[in-house]
Amino acid sequence: MNALISLRGIRKSFGTSEVLHGIDLDVYPGSHTVIFGPSGSGKSTVLRSMNLLEEPTEGSVVFEGVEYGPGIPGDATPRGKKIDLRRQVGMVFQQFNLFPHLSAIDNIALSVHAVTGKSKDEALERAAQELKNVGLLKWAMNYPAQLSGGQQQRVAIARALSLDPKLMLFDEPTSALDPELVGEVLAVMRKLAETGMTMVVVTHEMGFAKEIGDQCIFMDQGYIADSGGADFFDTCTNKRTKEFIGSVL
Amino acid sequence: MEETPRLNFMWHLVWDFRAELLRGLLTAFEVAITALILSLFVGLLFALMKMSRFALWRGIASTYVNVFRGIPALVSVVWVYFGWSLLFGYNFTVYQAGVIALTLLYSSFFAEIFRSALEAVHKGQREAGQALGMSRLRIFRSIVMPQALKIAIPNIGSMYIGMIKDTSTFTVIGLAELVFVMQSINAEYFQPFVLFTAAAGLYVAAAFLVDFVFRIVEGGFSYPKVGRVKRFLTRRKRAQIQRLVEAN
Repeated sequence: MNALISLRGIRKSFGTSEVLHGIDLDVYPGSHTVIFGPSGSGKSTVLRSMNLLEEPTEGSVVFEGVEYGPGIPGDATPRGKKIDLRRQVGMVFQQFNLFPHLSAIDNIALSVHAVTGKSKDEALERAAQELKNVGLLKWAMNYPAQLSGGQQQRVAIARALSLDPKLMLFDEPTSALDPELVGEVLAVMRKLAETGMTMVVVTHEMGFAKEIGDQCIFMDQGYIADSGGADFFDTCTNKRTKEFIGSVL
Repeated sequence: MEETPRLNFMWHLVWDFRAELLRGLLTAFEVAITALILSLFVGLLFALMKMSRFALWRGIASTYVNVFRGIPALVSVVWVYFGWSLLFGYNFTVYQAGVIALTLLYSSFFAEIFRSALEAVHKGQREAGQALGMSRLRIFRSIVMPQALKIAIPNIGSMYIGMIKDTSTFTVIGLAELVFVMQSINAEYFQPFVLFTAAAGLYVAAAFLVDFVFRIVEGGFSYPKVGRVKRFLTRRKRAQIQRLVEAN
């Protein structure tokens, strides 16, 4: 089976300090990859390079056989355009990043209308459908400021899904939530995982990671320090990984 | 014993010349609003140049802002009206000269207002638009600009009041705005106290009116929506969503 998305030799520098030292990673269709590690380990940067929100200094993102990003010096392979990659990849942010000037339904409808070119009426219908899927149709006309953190994040997930992405990226989706609101967001993500959506999740929720992760990545200091399959949490032997898992569980 | 001259305030002049005074105020409004619309566009353009990746654009914009922000309206209008004519042999009408002078001056202020408003929009907003696959123009038009405008509108209102007041200096080129009208009445009746007081009153009334209008506009850009005007304008959309909610 071919990978849906592959990172090839991704390096990223901010000024003179390099934060990713050559990351290689394959994500297969229908799989759920979880990335965890201490803060500053580069896990968010890896995730953000998958849709080129963080442009790598070097290396490629290969999505369905098309290469994006800068590549390696001297490599003359034709590159795809960022916007084409992003239209196939959905992303959910730690801070939700809903558009505060638009109601919940318009957050989604604007995205559908702007990106797919569907008419405004069609876009609204699609938006209503997506809101219904995350159980928020009744809140359609509420503005982000009138929704709880958990509700906002569910709208954000609905917004990303409304564009029929082939891959969903989650950047610490529950880290900004009050503890009692984490569950509702994880429930939506769990349901999504069950539908067979390909997901890459950066998270500190180890219980959830263990539950859905069939590829587990432990990052430390800009490297993939350790990785494994669904049984990773029970079988890993790396001392550093075990220490980290022990410290957050 | 010397007799102190009796003060004789001819307040009735204000009423007698009400049509002329109001026409003067209206001219001030007109020049200022034309200049406002132009300065908003020019100011936005320079704000974007100031935020450009290219040093050349940034340099041009900074120079423009610093030059025209530093020139008083009176100097600016004299230069545009007489200077342009001397240098290039083209004569602007007083109305045109007033609009151009105000636009040069206020677009430099608007450039700064827009720049700070655009920068105040959270970085995550642009990122969300990018991650969704929106074009740069769409992100600017539908996400960043509406939020920046909301931040900028109170400042734009204050600037517009300033623009109306600055039209008073255009008396020097003979624009028939409020002060010009007042001075011609004064030349006949010599009632400076009465007439200046009337002018002050009219300018203040104008400021209140502008404030009122801008509050309505601000309501339109606020979220959640406030104000009856906004609710009225969005009623069809709200009904449509209501139907969708009920249908599903």
